[in-house]
Amino acid sequence: MVKRVVTGNYAAAFAAMLARVDVIAAYPITPQTFIVEHLSEFVNDGLLDSAFMRCESEHSAMSACVAASATGVRTYTATASQGLALMHEVLFIAGSAHLPVVMPVVNRTVAGPIGIWAEHNDTMPQRDTGWMQVYVEDNQEVMDMTIQAFKIAEDKRVLLPIMVCLDAFILSHTVEPVDFPDQDKVDKFLPPYRPDHAVLDPKDPMIIGSFSPPEYIQEVRYQTDETMRNALEVVEEVNAEWAKEFGRDYGGLIEEYKTEGADAILITLGTVTSTARDIVDEYRAAGKKVGLVKLRFFRPYPTEAIRKVASKCKAIGVYDRAVSFSAGGPSWIEARNALYGYTIPVINVLAGLGGRDVTEPDIRLMFDKVLEAAEKGEAENEIVWIGTRGVKP
Amino acid sequence: MFEVRFHGRGGQGAVMAAQALASAAFQEGNYAVAFPYFGAERRGAPVMAFTRVDKDKIFSKTLIYEPDYIVVLDDKLTGLVDVADGLKDDGMAIINSNAKPEDIELGKSVKCATVDATTVALETLGQPITNSAILGAFAKATGLVSIDSIVAGIMDIFGSRIGEKLAAKNANAAKVAYERTSVGTCKGTMTYEKGGKWLPDYKELPLGLATRPMKTPEGLVGPGSFVDNKTGSWKTFAPVHDPDKCIMCRMCWFYCPDGAIKEVGEGDAKTLEFHLEYCKGCGICANECPKDAIKMER
Ligand code: SF4
Ligand code: SF4
Repeated sequence: MVKRVVTGNYAAAFAAMLARVDVIAAYPITPQTFIVEHLSEFVNDGLLDSAFMRCESEHSAMSACVAASATGVRTYTATASQGLALMHEVLFIAGSAHLPVVMPVVNRTVAGPIGIWAEHNDTMPQRDTGWMQVYVEDNQEVMDMTIQAFKIAEDKRVLLPIMVCLDAFILSHTVEPVDFPDQDKVDKFLPPYRPDHAVLDPKDPMIIGSFSPPEYIQEVRYQTDETMRNALEVVEEVNAEWAKEFGRDYGGLIEEYKTEGADAILITLGTVTSTARDIVDEYRAAGKKVGLVKLRFFRPYPTEAIRKVASKCKAIGVYDRAVSFSAGGPSWIEARNALYGYTIPVINVLAGLGGRDVTEPDIRLMFDKVLEAAEKGEAENEIVWIGTRGVKP
Repeated sequence: MFEVRFHGRGGQGAVMAAQALASAAFQEGNYAVAFPYFGAERRGAPVMAFTRVDKDKIFSKTLIYEPDYIVVLDDKLTGLVDVADGLKDDGMAIINSNAKPEDIELGKSVKCATVDATTVALETLGQPITNSAILGAFAKATGLVSIDSIVAGIMDIFGSRIGEKLAAKNANAAKVAYERTSVGTCKGTMTYEKGGKWLPDYKELPLGLATRPMKTPEGLVGPGSFVDNKTGSWKTFAPVHDPDKCIMCRMCWFYCPDGAIKEVGEGDAKTLEFHLEYCKGCGICANECPKDAIKMER
């Protein structure tokens, strides 16, 4: 094992190389560009034996990935923001055809107004495309989850594509120390992809994506729903195996941090989790009973795990870096759905939209709001916008 | 309330007929809806359309499973599709056929009207499109809408699509058919086999519907399953090839949407074979042929 100081983008690219991807089809977009640039160098330098296609748009890139994956080979791409939006219609095809493409998405605000910084309004609207989504916190997790993503996606009980979501710049362009797993250990962990459900081969013809009348599509939807639910178990298994082989345990669907005895729990996703760990430590030291849940998987959604968390605290806050206008943040909406029938207050805290820095005072305010709700048993404001000029949090 | 189910083939205008009937009923002060149900979107494939008429606003948004009336635009369908499926016992069938009602077999003995709408259409329109003529038969056989309203309905729906002049010709087709309609009772001696459609549950369905060639009790599915699908029964006109005029340019072969034209023989003996069990009679080959070497004949 080698430790190097690298960016999240480098970790995402290197992980694809360790996974021995067969096809990479991509189009560059800030802040993801370096992922495909690094990969093109690896291929050029003979380090990676992989077909590399630079396409003319993300729509074409995802179409190429669908076609490549349908021939039964391990397929990879990366994108961000508008690029993901442009892929939108093709994402459904990968999902419904059960093509386990792996795609890091560097979360970047979707225009307008145009910006390049972190927001989750690119990945959140893709939640119903049949793709799994995992949100990561640091560059080590970018590396580890990209490799695990292949194993989860290619599991015969799942066979669904997956997005590994990392925050723009905060991870993509930030260097920090990362353990590089050994190739032979990765090879053992991740055997070659050998599917039989979708393999385009002229010698053994099959039809993929044919015109289908209403007699069939509802069953196809149910298959996607069932395999997405199967993924709940597979994520835990793969996490456990990773922890055993590589010594890093991410908790699976969610990670709990100091939730024992906590009255107020904040559910975060993405990089805000890291700063929130410091604030939990600070508040705990001051005798404030707070805890943290890092929501890792948004699809499949860990309903049971969230319910377990809710049954041991007095109030929950859900952090979102995106908003569904007039309805609240998507992660909060999901949590409230999971917690139907629970009587504790579940509030939404919104911050960091458009890439605005989420500061320590911001996160303290989040915990204060949840603590207040825990104490009173109700919340004055269910949806709290933090750090928005002219809006009282 | 009365409910009508139209059976036709893609391109025969069943949908426009259903709409024109709705318009006719509406013009008599009713509330009426008409809607299509497309299967495979192919010219010649069996299609259905529906009309529902009531005095008050209609809320139902479902297909019609137990119609009061069925209207069949193409009598060759009656041997292939159980057109009378669900037809009420006191319901009625209106069929495009040159046969007498008594000679029609629907697997169910019900009131039945026939008219040779194809001949009427050829006489009045110069084309075998029967959707307007059959409405004249509907008016005559059921008495539910007057022929004047049918004419108004055709002018409304056809007029907005194909222009007033052609609509008037279609209205005339309805009037001619009205006069030639005979009413009686059809036979119900044969039984149609139920089902026949491959409907696996979600576990049996190949994941994501990625399908290899498979034999099922209901026939072939997946690549190559067209072999089972004898589209030759769809045609009114069949291509007749004249090898003397043919220069083997293969334009017809290239354009045939059903792959029904095959090259046979070697060298100078090379010629074309038309597989009539698959040829659906669309006439595209004849239209594309630069040497006029293909004629469409009834
Ligand atoms: S009419 Fe000609 S083009 Fe049409 S299906 Fe028959 S052979 Fe093919
Ligand atoms: S298009 Fe006409 S001339 Fe050409 S091959 Fe066909 S029949 Fe012959």
